[in-house]
Amino acid sequence: MSDVAIRVDHLCKVYRGKGTAAIRAVDDLSFSVKRGSIFGLLGPNGAGKTTTLRVLTTRARPTSGTAHVLGHDVVRAPLEVRKRIGVVIQEQAAELLLSVRDNLLTYARFHASSGPAVRARADDVMEQFGLADSADRKVQDLSGGIRRRVQVAKMFMVDVPVIFLDEFSTGMDPILKRAVMALLRTQAAEGRTIVLTTQILTEAEELCDDILIINNGRQVARGDLHALKMLTDRLYDVSLTFERVPDDVMTVIEGYRPARVSVAHNTVQLRMKDEESRVLALVSALATRGHLLRIEINGASLEDVFVEITGKGATT
Amino acid sequence: MTLTAVLIREGKIRATNSTFIFWDLLYPLGYLLVFGLGMTASMGFTVGLPGVDYNAFFLAGVLGMASFGIASNTSWSFFLDRDNGIFYEMLTYPLSRSQYLLGKVLFNVLVALVQALITVGLSAALLDVSIRPEGIPLLLVATVVGTAGWFFFYAIFALWIRRNDAFNTITSVFYFVLLFASSMFYPLEPLPAAIRIAARANPITWHVDVLRYATIGIGDARLIVWESIAFMAFTLAAFLVAVRSLEREG
Repeated sequence: MSDVAIRVDHLCKVYRGKGTAAIRAVDDLSFSVKRGSIFGLLGPNGAGKTTTLRVLTTRARPTSGTAHVLGHDVVRAPLEVRKRIGVVIQEQAAELLLSVRDNLLTYARFHASSGPAVRARADDVMEQFGLADSADRKVQDLSGGIRRRVQVAKMFMVDVPVIFLDEFSTGMDPILKRAVMALLRTQAAEGRTIVLTTQILTEAEELCDDILIINNGRQVARGDLHALKMLTDRLYDVSLTFERVPDDVMTVIEGYRPARVSVAHNTVQLRMKDEESRVLALVSALATRGHLLRIEINGASLEDVFVEITGKGATT
Repeated sequence: MTLTAVLIREGKIRATNSTFIFWDLLYPLGYLLVFGLGMTASMGFTVGLPGVDYNAFFLAGVLGMASFGIASNTSWSFFLDRDNGIFYEMLTYPLSRSQYLLGKVLFNVLVALVQALITVGLSAALLDVSIRPEGIPLLLVATVVGTAGWFFFYAIFALWIRRNDAFNTITSVFYFVLLFASSMFYPLEPLPAAIRIAARANPITWHVDVLRYATIGIGDARLIVWESIAFMAFTLAAFLVAVRSLEREG
């Protein structure tokens, strides 16, 4: 059995509208996803994330190139692919006229699961997603956030080996989001492959083993979190909290030419794009000017990486 | 299993509105009672055939109209499913596009069958329409193929047209043109040549003529055979185009 769950080779998707210029939504994209991993597909709006997911989930045919899910070609064997995937699409999708329970059971029935065991599983899933109190209410009577819960909860009704989540946390409260993220980690540990797109980079930072950043339909960066952070080497966020901010603090800081500086109450926040030794020298210089209560120095976050490379369009 | 899943889904959704089911099952009979009796009583309308009054003649028209109506209502559900977003999610479910369409029509075919049997049974009991028992199997087949054929036909437009107001206009035109330029309400023989030719080329006429032959036994048997073949070809063509239309969705 191959270690690869998803393989994409030179994928292109061009949308041609009547009387409008063709849009190259995905442009020569190639990547693979390991079985049992959580793979993040990141990029700014219009980067081609959702189009890539639409091809992988057999909703759109590629213009050229190939894509395979668990060895099945998405164009030649779409039904085989669909038997092995669960999809949370970006748009809200629920059977509004049916109850929460019927939504879950209907989804399971499409995946050839029915009977008492499935009903019991529906009860468990509703409990996990905080839906038990609304089990017999029609989804049309529930709020947008709860409808989204129902949509995500369906994925846990069946044991398909690959799950695609397009902006899954939209409308979820932070507590539920944490719980779902924990569930996703458990599922991945049990061998499920999870592919997600998100605009919330902390989510990707917490969840993903492997991240692909795309822009204008092309790969701009690829790797695990550590590898991606290396791309914005020499970027530091420094936070210094004084007992009282020294009067000449700006004079000292200006000499080190920070990318960004702000002073609020008794805290000075800086962004430095410089050698590590220069950052430490600045901190030492400021420490001699006043009584420091707290020092915090952080390297680049995924958000920094994202902004940096989607702005430049670098390729790794 | 997948067809059953679509069937149960359609049934559950439809069951959330019991008035809808009541209407689906009994409106053809209501139409026959109001329109058929009214025409006979107020205008003394006859079809010029011995032993066949207007109610007997119109019975097949009502059954054809019911299939046409169910098909039109079912195709509306594409818009509902699109609005709910579930349409796009269902395209990722483990079923082929043809299974999706067949499953969707299956529940409505069952409703059409029950509706046809109720209508035929009550028209015999209440309106003294003389029904041919040997024609019942053909009636059932014609109801199944008719409902499916019209659903696939409407599905093509529902899948291509994204705006439901535009789809509404199309269905209104179809109701007006297809139903009246056909043998649904009156025999074709006395009609002007142009309308008669148009009606002969109209799949509604093929469908209603078969239903009429099945229920009360009037019509030329050879023509009925050709009309049956033509309607099945129409259904198959509509199905293939509807599947292609669904494949370009997503």
